[in-house]
Amino acid sequence: MGRYLIRRLIQAIPVLLGATFLIYFLTFALGGDPVQALAGEKKADPLVAAMLREKYHLDDPFLVQYWNYLTGVLQGNLGETLNGRQVLDLITEAFPYTVNLAIVAFAIEALVGVTAGIMAALRRGKFLDQLVLISTLLVISIPVFVTGFVLQLLLGVELKELGFDFFPVSFNESDGFKAYLLPGFILASTSLAYVTRLTRTSLMETMRADYVRTAVAKGLPRRRVVVNHALRNALIPIVTFLGADLGSLMGGAVITENIFNINGIGGLIAQAIRLDQGTVLVGVVTLLVLVYLLANLIVDLLYAVLDPRIRYA
Amino acid sequence: MRGATSAKWVAGAVIVAMAATACSTSKEGDGKAKSGGNITVVLGEPQHGLIGQNTAESEGAEVLNALFTGLVDYDNKTNEPKLAVAESIDTQDSKTWTIKLKDGYTFHNGEKVDAQSFVRAWNWGANQENAAEGLPFFSKIEGSDELAPGKDKKPTATELKGLKVVDEKTFTVTLKQPFSQFKTMLGYNAFYPLPKAFEADPKKFGEAPIGNGPFQMDGAWEHNKQIKVKRFENYAGSKAKLDGVTFKIYDNLDTAYNDLRADTIQIVDKLPTSAMATVSQEFGERYIYKPESGVGYVGLPISTNPEAFGKVEIRKAISMAIDREALTKTIFNNTRKPADDFISPIIPGYRKGALGEAGTYNPAKAKELWTQAGGVPGNKIELGYNADGGHKEWIEAVANQLKANLGVEVTPKPFAKFGDMLTDLGDKKYKGAFRMAWSMDYPAAENYLRPIFSKVAIDHGSNYGGYVNEEFEKLMDEADKTVDPAASIKLYQQADDIIIRDLPYIPVFTYMSSSAYSKSVKNVEIDAQGRMDLANVELN
Repeated sequence: MGRYLIRRLIQAIPVLLGATFLIYFLTFALGGDPVQALAGEKKADPLVAAMLREKYHLDDPFLVQYWNYLTGVLQGNLGETLNGRQVLDLITEAFPYTVNLAIVAFAIEALVGVTAGIMAALRRGKFLDQLVLISTLLVISIPVFVTGFVLQLLLGVELKELGFDFFPVSFNESDGFKAYLLPGFILASTSLAYVTRLTRTSLMETMRADYVRTAVAKGLPRRRVVVNHALRNALIPIVTFLGADLGSLMGGAVITENIFNINGIGGLIAQAIRLDQGTVLVGVVTLLVLVYLLANLIVDLLYAVLDPRIRYA
Repeated sequence: MRGATSAKWVAGAVIVAMAATACSTSKEGDGKAKSGGNITVVLGEPQHGLIGQNTAESEGAEVLNALFTGLVDYDNKTNEPKLAVAESIDTQDSKTWTIKLKDGYTFHNGEKVDAQSFVRAWNWGANQENAAEGLPFFSKIEGSDELAPGKDKKPTATELKGLKVVDEKTFTVTLKQPFSQFKTMLGYNAFYPLPKAFEADPKKFGEAPIGNGPFQMDGAWEHNKQIKVKRFENYAGSKAKLDGVTFKIYDNLDTAYNDLRADTIQIVDKLPTSAMATVSQEFGERYIYKPESGVGYVGLPISTNPEAFGKVEIRKAISMAIDREALTKTIFNNTRKPADDFISPIIPGYRKGALGEAGTYNPAKAKELWTQAGGVPGNKIELGYNADGGHKEWIEAVANQLKANLGVEVTPKPFAKFGDMLTDLGDKKYKGAFRMAWSMDYPAAENYLRPIFSKVAIDHGSNYGGYVNEEFEKLMDEADKTVDPAASIKLYQQADDIIIRDLPYIPVFTYMSSSAYSKSVKNVEIDAQGRMDLANVELN
């Protein structure tokens, strides 16, 4: 187990290196001129632009730039944006908001999704099952930005006019947990639908398995059959999905964060792309790769807990 | 008994009411109604530290406008310069300018605003080592070449030769060449003063600047979140009415607009396109819709592609084949107006209908001109635009109009970013027509001509067409020399006439600014540069 863990962690190093190289190469190949992007719709003054290019070594060949970046990273320096801000600062400022948002979304997704899935599976073909199937289909087919804007308008603006001021239109730190509720739900919505449907199918399948039939034949109470025998096995694909989803929740928050004005990682990515800030992009994406790797590792370890037949060496 | 009491009450109520109205009218008469309170307004994340010399974009300028007061200010209606920190700005020859400062202005830390605080700021901005975005603004001052000798060279001086401090309240500025619009230019944020504290650590200063304006920083800039300012009590000009203003930073204007509707924020000075259809109904009087400084053009690469765009008849035909009215109505929902001069309608010197025939939609005449001139090689033109700025629709509409009216094959060509298009134009790799826009730095007719159509603007400005005309240069120089404002405007208009004759670019529309504010505030005004005049805003 310990050796397995260490091996997996060592494997992460080339993955991270490859990821930074790829992103760095892509932003470089895409072209774009960060100096001009900074000046907006007016032409950057040639002399000012030249001074900035020199200061940030933008005229160097790609490999030299990448090497400089890499040696900087090894010394704990993730680089600086053209307007003089440390990339590390940008990330540490933005990261907590995205983590909070992802946790809220993840909790909604896991709790509501699994519960609804179980209920639908146990009442197969009945009204509740139909309701779950139709509502999840609806959620999957509407794009997130539509759901986001509609709920923002209905709950944030219209409801406030009626005197019910609970869902803020945009994010305010002073609102605490309340501020994450609606955006968290929006962020979770699509995956929530998938988790529900996955749980339903997976549980229905395990309920037909021989060992469950045996458990029922033994006369065990239904609750025990479902929770202790069927669900435990049925959870394996769900945990896999949830684990992979944690990564995409963090990276995929671009739209949700934008709608609710949460200044997290999503906003940072959007800003970096708009301003051709390659160093910011590489830093953020590397971080996201790290989150993916960790989430996957945790998922793999959870398998053993759920199914003791799985062992790692 | 009962009647008597109620009569007493009524009388009492009348007295109270009268007292109240009397009170309120007298208050309005004094010009200081209710003061105090805090509001929140919209902002986008500024691109640079909050230093006037290093800010060339509108978001940072918005905050700087609240924190700093320059030598001159502009009238919100006429856009004429009016003295602010300056007591007087005089010249005999438009070359040497004597600037006297008013008493009483201090920085937020108590330091006096003296001649040195301007000289300090301008010397910093003019030095290429600091790579400040406002650098080109100082190039007119004598000695600027020593501070900005060019790439791969070191500055040989740290002070502009042309700046001389006479006494604490007076300094003189000597320009390389006479420039009649210098006073007007001084309202731009690159010319704001800086206190001594700036020199210690410019970078830190940019996070929490110490200004001399009606508001001072309330804590440091919280990046991507907000910038808070509060009233500066010792301000020598007319004090701000509000206690404080929070600039809340948004990435998405639709969200800001929804926050405005929920009265979470009070002023939005950049409305999202999605709001345009309903905003006037929803906000009524609280919707401000006025012309702003921007002009949108179709640019023509005269020097790179003379075979196609070298003939003035071709350029005029293109201009006359564009139905500006239809474009602004159907594509822009009236958020733009048809352009009828190269100079924006809000600028002193603008003439209504100056474009004349060239700006009038006349497909028959256009086709005639086009055929007479022999059209373009291959009967094909490209129309470039940047895809990141919402230009696709109008460019496609123009392409269709040209196709229909001139019978020419027009292909819209998207560039991923504005910078990509500029690079290709600069390298002479792109030979098609292109979209272009200009918004002023300072409200002078000159600012709509020299930075875009002069010879020097080929390398240093926005002359991407490579247009050169000696007659135009001469008139501009003459206008720059003229001391009398009215006479100089006449000369700039003559230079404008040459551009109108030659049509190096084709003006298509002028921009309109649209803002709205919530019920809880009043006295909201937007200035010519599209900034909120926050010092005058009051709570309702």
